[in-house]
Amino acid sequence: MKNFSRRALEFALTFFLAISINFFLPRLVPGDPIKLIAGDAAPQLGKERIAALRAQYGLDKPLSEQFMIYLKQLAHGDLGMSYRYSGGKTVVEVLSENFRWTLLLVGVSMLFALLIGSALGIWSATRRGDPIDFGLLSGVYILRAIPPFWLAMLLIPIFAIQFHYLPAGDSYSIPRLEGWENVKDVARHALMPILVLTLAYLPTAFVIMRAAMFGIMESNYIRTARAKGVPNRWVVLKHGLRNALLPVLTSFMVDFGQLLGGVTVIEAVFNYRGIGNMMFEAVKSRDYPLLQGGFLLFTTTILLLNIITELMYPLLDPRLRRTA
Amino acid sequence: MSVHTLADLNQRIPPSRRLARFSGWIGAFVLILMLAFAFFPTVIAPYDSTKTVALPLQKPGRENILGTNDLGQDLFSELIAGTRASLLTGVIVSLIAVFIGAIVGLASGYLGGWVDSLLMRLTDLILVLPFLPLVILISVYLGPSQRNIIIVLSVFFWAGPARLIRARVLSTRLDTYIEAARALGANPLEIMAGHLWSSVRPLAFVQVVLVASASILAESSLSFLGLGDPSGKSWGTMLYFARASGAFLSDAWKWWVVPTGLMITLTVLSLGLIGYSLEQRMVSPT
Repeated sequence: MKNFSRRALEFALTFFLAISINFFLPRLVPGDPIKLIAGDAAPQLGKERIAALRAQYGLDKPLSEQFMIYLKQLAHGDLGMSYRYSGGKTVVEVLSENFRWTLLLVGVSMLFALLIGSALGIWSATRRGDPIDFGLLSGVYILRAIPPFWLAMLLIPIFAIQFHYLPAGDSYSIPRLEGWENVKDVARHALMPILVLTLAYLPTAFVIMRAAMFGIMESNYIRTARAKGVPNRWVVLKHGLRNALLPVLTSFMVDFGQLLGGVTVIEAVFNYRGIGNMMFEAVKSRDYPLLQGGFLLFTTTILLLNIITELMYPLLDPRLRRTA
Repeated sequence: MSVHTLADLNQRIPPSRRLARFSGWIGAFVLILMLAFAFFPTVIAPYDSTKTVALPLQKPGRENILGTNDLGQDLFSELIAGTRASLLTGVIVSLIAVFIGAIVGLASGYLGGWVDSLLMRLTDLILVLPFLPLVILISVYLGPSQRNIIIVLSVFFWAGPARLIRARVLSTRLDTYIEAARALGANPLEIMAGHLWSSVRPLAFVQVVLVASASILAESSLSFLGLGDPSGKSWGTMLYFARASGAFLSDAWKWWVVPTGLMITLTVLSLGLIGYSLEQRMVSPT
């Protein structure tokens, strides 16, 4: 538990740093933040109007005071207003509308990638040096080199435009269908993004599992198990895999930050209603509050998942239970 | 006296090693081809890729073997011209990133103590942050340009190499020759830059290749999102314009999207294979 509280402190520190990045980034880049807010209209604004805007955004106060105000707003769940929607939507509103779609894509594809990737990794590890190992490894190397967004750009013309099997974009049909039809409709829309993301996540799971199993399959207790006459499948799954799970999960979480972000480009290609695509649209309209909110949400998701993983360790490794 | 036949020479090299060598040569071959495109684009490309040479959105024909883009520029020439931007970005980013990574890794691994904790916390932080969203955020503030993409990618890509180099330093810092050097009065800087560096150099070299491969892939994603130099020619930018002009709503994706992505894949793959092969050959697993 002592170890856990130390990790929790680290997560809190990381979160604080992400917040600080959000605060200082617009204030550090060369140029007046007002120009960023006003965009192309900046030169036409008079001196008084600029001063008014400065006061409105609190930019006339000293930096430390600005930071305190920012933290206070954040604590109240206020991430500011999005620029894009003329009706006026808060960033929190926009994020909560879009987040479930990203969660759907990432959750399902991460699950598939972990299951398929790990299974292939185990297979490869038990056939070290075999044509099967070679084939799987080369496949993964090639898969790793393919830009996922390009894969998406190839699937759309084939499956959506030529054959009309699947919709080319968006997360559901407009007008929305009802009941069971709606579920099928959402699944059809999610199919291609999930396929692309699964293929994008798969190499990481494969490589980590393969490396972990290599080490374990050469250890003494595996030899003992074999000597006892335990069937091969049982040796691999019980003695091998059980021990590989912890290091695999740990290594996978290290790469999670990189993997999760990848959803941004895929959502953009499919015009999917997730946080990533929302950030892509926000780039075009220079919607800074929305971009910052999106980044913060991604960071929070990663940190939460890291904490959950940390809490799962005792489940996976009995040795960690006693200290708890 | 025994005569070595080819068969028993082959037997002595473990199959994985032989495979690594083979894949390394394939990678080197593709990379040399790409380097030729990058160094002599005008020799290979039939047209100036920045000039309008035909009607826009032409199908592949005798004049333009891959057709033309929405501005009437020759797509094949654009593809060749893009090689330079993509490779250059990859090489510069990886050199900067591994340079920073080596300094951090050496200092952290050898000096230990608070330097180590501080630098490793920083490294962990960079690894845990959501890469693409943060890079998008920073790029938007800095403005779209190739130079900014290089800066942003370098800021992120040093963390991986730093960790690996630190691990290697930790395993060699207690070796007798390091101890001997210290006993002879060498200062920490000399030990780090001289002795330790020479032991991590192969690892760093492999990292340069692998980081280059990763940053070419990342650059294409960023340019594809419209964060690259819009007037510059890179493969990611080409795909950005292909999407913007709806290339995959027509048949144009076959000669616009397919070859461009294939170039990215081949380049990234060739560097990956070279890196893998070098790793097998030079860096014995710790």
